[in-house]
Amino acid sequence: MTRTRKPGISRRSTLALMGAGAVTFAAPWVARAQAKTIKVGMPTILSGRVAQLGTSSRNGVMLEVEKVNAAGGLAGRQIEMVIRDSKGQPQEAARVARELVNTDGCELLIDAEASSGAFAVHEVARDLGVLCIHTNSETSALTADPKQHIPNAFRTARQGVHDSIVGGSYAAAISKAKGLKKWATCAPDYAYGRDTTGEFTLYLKRFAPDVEIISESWPKLFQPDYTEVVTKILQAKPQALYSCLWGGDLTSYIDQANIYALFTQMEVFAVNMADYTALTVVKNLPKGIHSGNRYIKTYPATAENAAWGDAYKAKYNEYPTNWSWENATAIMLLAEASKKANSADGKKLAEALRGLKIKSPFGADGTVTMRAEDQTLIGYAIGWGTTIPQEPYVPEVKPGDWKTILELEAEWKKSKGYT
Amino acid sequence: MTELQAEQASKVLDNSVTQAKPRPNRDALIALAVFVVLALLPMLTSSKFLLDFVIRCAAYGLFATSLNLLVGYTGLTSFGHGMFFGLGAYGFGLMMQKTGVAVPVAFVATLAITFVVALVIGAICVRLKEIYFAFVTLAFQMLIHSTILSWVSLTGGDQGLRGGIPRPPFLGIDLSNHLHLYIVSCALLVIGLFLMHQIAQSPFGYTLRMIRDNATRASFIGIDVWRAKLTIFVLAALFASTGGIIMALFVSGAYPEFAYWTISGEGIFINMLGGVTTFLGPMVGTALFLILNDTVTRVTEYHGIVLGIVILFFAIGLRKGLMDFVIEWYAQRRERSGERAS
Repeated sequence: MTRTRKPGISRRSTLALMGAGAVTFAAPWVARAQAKTIKVGMPTILSGRVAQLGTSSRNGVMLEVEKVNAAGGLAGRQIEMVIRDSKGQPQEAARVARELVNTDGCELLIDAEASSGAFAVHEVARDLGVLCIHTNSETSALTADPKQHIPNAFRTARQGVHDSIVGGSYAAAISKAKGLKKWATCAPDYAYGRDTTGEFTLYLKRFAPDVEIISESWPKLFQPDYTEVVTKILQAKPQALYSCLWGGDLTSYIDQANIYALFTQMEVFAVNMADYTALTVVKNLPKGIHSGNRYIKTYPATAENAAWGDAYKAKYNEYPTNWSWENATAIMLLAEASKKANSADGKKLAEALRGLKIKSPFGADGTVTMRAEDQTLIGYAIGWGTTIPQEPYVPEVKPGDWKTILELEAEWKKSKGYT
Repeated sequence: MTELQAEQASKVLDNSVTQAKPRPNRDALIALAVFVVLALLPMLTSSKFLLDFVIRCAAYGLFATSLNLLVGYTGLTSFGHGMFFGLGAYGFGLMMQKTGVAVPVAFVATLAITFVVALVIGAICVRLKEIYFAFVTLAFQMLIHSTILSWVSLTGGDQGLRGGIPRPPFLGIDLSNHLHLYIVSCALLVIGLFLMHQIAQSPFGYTLRMIRDNATRASFIGIDVWRAKLTIFVLAALFASTGGIIMALFVSGAYPEFAYWTISGEGIFINMLGGVTTFLGPMVGTALFLILNDTVTRVTEYHGIVLGIVILFFAIGLRKGLMDFVIEWYAQRRERSGERAS
């Protein structure tokens, strides 16, 4: 009798499939085998339109992790990063974060998610009680709102309200000097764009009360064509324009507005311009755009910062982004906290992190502080300057004054009912 | 045809007729057994990953199976089914955050809201056929998604519902306890599947298949096609909404992505993976999809390529879902053993 192979799944391949399934579920036990290293989980966005957020966050983290490991690790334990893609979906961010802690045995979380994903991971941290450092979400409410507050979550990202205060006061000073009364705004139509523009104009009017907003444009996020926006602004004939477009949106906007010579007709304030992701991509960077610093290696103008930027460039063949320094800071803080607590335990680290002040290339005065009261970063370099078309792109940055920032932030918190 | 053959043929016919009859008692027993097995699972393993996996299976499974009621049973290819998933998540989350009612009340109220919304949207959509139906459902989905994005004061816009969903304990069940959440999700999944199976096996379910195969004939027989389609559209929406509620509980929030077209796309993908000709196809597809997703994203950030290849393999290679394949293989085997016996 001969047996011929019939189409369909054979018994053998069924067994193989079942075996593969078993391996998937057995993964947790394998993962817990090495206890000497400390695993740090990092959900982030590594695919899709904003994949650069994830890759440059990862680069920033890895640069510092190597240094910390070379110096002995966290309280003697080598750091092992487990970095996973959430595709920018909050339910995936939550799933990945849970899996990192429950299955992969990660004892700490670096949450490098943007906007809604950060809030999803925040809920996981609330549920599991694991130490979590938010590194990319700039939404002020994440730490300012007491309803969000949990003792085990920190933030090392800049904060929207800080940017608005510095930007508003800087723009008001220029306004007064140059007599810019008629303003237009142009911002992406989602929470970040609406909130940031709202806060910026609030502080602009506070410092320069005679300013008037005569035109508002709200292009969609990731909109490819800005012609109608550009012509609308030109027709309104404002003296100044504020924009918080970012990344690819900002660069395509500038390229298209250049055709209409928009930048010669008004003063432009683009808060997200001074970041290498935008500076190096724009075809003809106009001279004299006012911008807040995101990350540039010339501000703060210290040897440490320039060295850090160059080391990053040497290793990854591109300049750091705003996300890079925010993530690097998380590792720097963890390293200091573990020295102070002499432990890598999440609870002890959290205790040590509160109010911790460390030396940092990204500090306004060479240091940054994890403020104890709301567990968010303060004292980082923040300022505004104007662009030139070639390196160093923003030669002079006028630093924001942290004393004013903190005063106005406290006031803002009160007005929101957060204190 | 010999007499013997005729007799055999009628036997086969008899057999298929008895199979077609709804058997709620047997189904209920199976459902109960499945639930007991699932409920005992946490005692056998300490893997929290497995529990998370089953909870997500419950959310996506209810969603995908309800989509199959439309796609597979009625021939309504909805591209906007995800809107009810999102509606469930937001309805429940908002209710718990703003009103502080008990969980069961919020659950029922969310289903009531879904019922009304689905009735209105369905009344407009089910008149349309094929591509028009698909596109109008997609349009409604985008409408709901845009509403969620722009109604910032209520929904939190693109940041989603923040601050967690409070879950006051009720009847001794505390949903902030992960184990309780797991058991409740399993219960909802099993009950949902049981109910959907009853619907699919009922005379109404067969009416749907008839409409799928030949709507003109169905209306000649005297069936109100529009009403039947609307009924199943609303029922499917309710189950999708339940899936959304489970997801909201799992992530302790609701996000605009839940109502985005990609969720509907994933539903269709799951149905393709599992197959639409069997009732459990989408459930198998769900498990397959989640295992694929979880393992592939672990290994590579180019998961899009891998998932795309898998889709191509199923669409062009197998030309059917996994369950269809298994059923066919099983039938062939039986046929062969029948041949051997005779």
